[in-house]
Amino acid sequence: MEFLDQFTVTTLRGATPIVIAAVAGLFSIRAGIFHLGIEGLILAGAFTAVAAGTASGSALVGLVSAIVVSMLLSVLYWVLIDRLKADTVIAGLGLTALCVGGTAFAMQVLFDQRGQMASSVRLFRPVTGPQEGALAFVSELTIITWMTPFLILAAWIVLRRSRLGLQIAAVGDYPYGAEAIGVNRSRVRLYALLITGVGCGIAGTQLAIGDVAGFSENMTNGRGFFALAAMLFGGFSAVYTALAGLFFGFADAFGIFMQINDTSGLPIQFVLMVPFVLTIFIVSLSGYFKKRRDSA
Amino acid sequence: MMNRALGILSAVLPLLLAILMSAALFFATGYDVASVISGVIEGAITGFGSFWQTLRWSMPLLLIALGFLFCLRAGEFNIGGQGQMMMGGLGTVAVALLLPGPVALVLPLAILSGIALGAAWSFLPGLLKVKLGADEVIVTLMLNFVAVLFVSWVTTGPLKDPAVRGETASTPTVDSALRLSGGDGMSVTLLVLIAVAVVFAWLLAERSAFGLKLRYVGEAPEAARWQGMQAGQLKLWAYVLAGSFAGLAGAFEVLGPNGRLVTGATPTIGFTAIVVTIVGLSRVSGIVFAALLFGGLQAAILFLPIVSDLPSSGLKILEGLIALLVTAEFIRRRRGTG
Repeated sequence: MEFLDQFTVTTLRGATPIVIAAVAGLFSIRAGIFHLGIEGLILAGAFTAVAAGTASGSALVGLVSAIVVSMLLSVLYWVLIDRLKADTVIAGLGLTALCVGGTAFAMQVLFDQRGQMASSVRLFRPVTGPQEGALAFVSELTIITWMTPFLILAAWIVLRRSRLGLQIAAVGDYPYGAEAIGVNRSRVRLYALLITGVGCGIAGTQLAIGDVAGFSENMTNGRGFFALAAMLFGGFSAVYTALAGLFFGFADAFGIFMQINDTSGLPIQFVLMVPFVLTIFIVSLSGYFKKRRDSA
Repeated sequence: MMNRALGILSAVLPLLLAILMSAALFFATGYDVASVISGVIEGAITGFGSFWQTLRWSMPLLLIALGFLFCLRAGEFNIGGQGQMMMGGLGTVAVALLLPGPVALVLPLAILSGIALGAAWSFLPGLLKVKLGADEVIVTLMLNFVAVLFVSWVTTGPLKDPAVRGETASTPTVDSALRLSGGDGMSVTLLVLIAVAVVFAWLLAERSAFGLKLRYVGEAPEAARWQGMQAGQLKLWAYVLAGSFAGLAGAFEVLGPNGRLVTGATPTIGFTAIVVTIVGLSRVSGIVFAALLFGGLQAAILFLPIVSDLPSSGLKILEGLIALLVTAEFIRRRRGTG
């Protein structure tokens, strides 16, 4: 039972930031922005959560600051790709590179720490479960993990049932048609990017003061790109994207446990490859059907 | 003429802006900007062995950027240079370690095997794009991760160096007779080989019917179709070329400076190479300059901690700012944003 317990905790811990970033990223990708800056935004959020949380002694201040910084960076990205017509892909990779350098730099300048720094605060864990047994894991989960299902639901409602969600889809699918019926494309894209920014700030906070209580250089380690894969894998739907993110968390946990007690002999790298290979498969399949539909 | 000057200005302006913003940041955070600048110049150009280091870091950037150029010309945004380079390194190190025989036979085969594996890793997304319409940005990005994991498996499994402990996994070092340069990274042999590759790329991209057709397919796909051009086939060749150049970069890393295949070596070089192509205004001559510039910056990043108290992450900020700004405002967009 202890094994299952730890496995569940590790899966949910690993999945939470990816799921939140992926579901929030849906707003950008549906607005037609292939947002490669997500990785950087999560990293910036993670650092800000630790920095502001440690400085103020409050995890909540850390969370709010992380969201604010991630939103500000999203505005910067919007100015570049919308106002200055910068290439979405290159500017997104640039944003990520800026955040990798910027967080390491700020850590050294502000806190005189190299490589990593500890956080004095940790996220609130609202539920106290039994000490042992199958449900012991619930006391390990942070408030953000508990909130995640509600965030997914909220994203689903906004994307599917709200005016903004429809406008985002219109801007992404029919940019000129949307303009023609009076949708302000620039503004909708700004809102979409801001929502993604909020999610990345939350994801970064969970990553830094949710499970490890500290920041280390480049600690996102590709999670933003995993989130992107989860969106594609989930076919741009909020629920399926979240499930795909959960699968990444599961693969992560599986990898960690395989490293500890490897019995099967299957190299962990091949397990971790599965989501990427599946994403390629799905993108090819959907491309094929789109092509057939277009030519028919 | 006017166009040309505007083009150069549009490449130089983001660079200057990024340098100014970084300098302002360093000044505001209390670092001695003058000593940082002199440190960068010393680390990239004037210091002992510095320029050699600049050339060493320019090499992979230049080769991957040249490959990226072919795809860009054909209207394809192949961001898989990182993975293609790693697979190239794998192809080379496998032959160099496992194939017995005289150097005159093993060395060319090792390089060819690197090129072939890099090309294959690029041909796959090309095929998926051309035949099935799978978005190449996504597929090449995903293949980068697959390549990282695959190389990680090889360096911790089948080709693991038993002597290496700790976090970095690597293969054993290849036989010194097969090395094209020492640990300092560059040699006259390598420079000559790179020069051959650059001339080849220049002839093919700027002076051949093939290069012209690629541009045609990339810039006027409808017109090319009406003229009965085989756009798909041309694009596939562009992918193969991109992968070949990136694979060659991987081969040279293994046979040159690294001497072995290391997990996690140069994790972002593929992305920097894309920026190199854009800063080089998507021309072979410009790319050579841009590669030297970014190679110099990389050499300076590694050198700066010796002479300045500025953290090397400061220069990474500069690199990020350049990438962020480089396509803004003036340069014609290569890929639609929506």
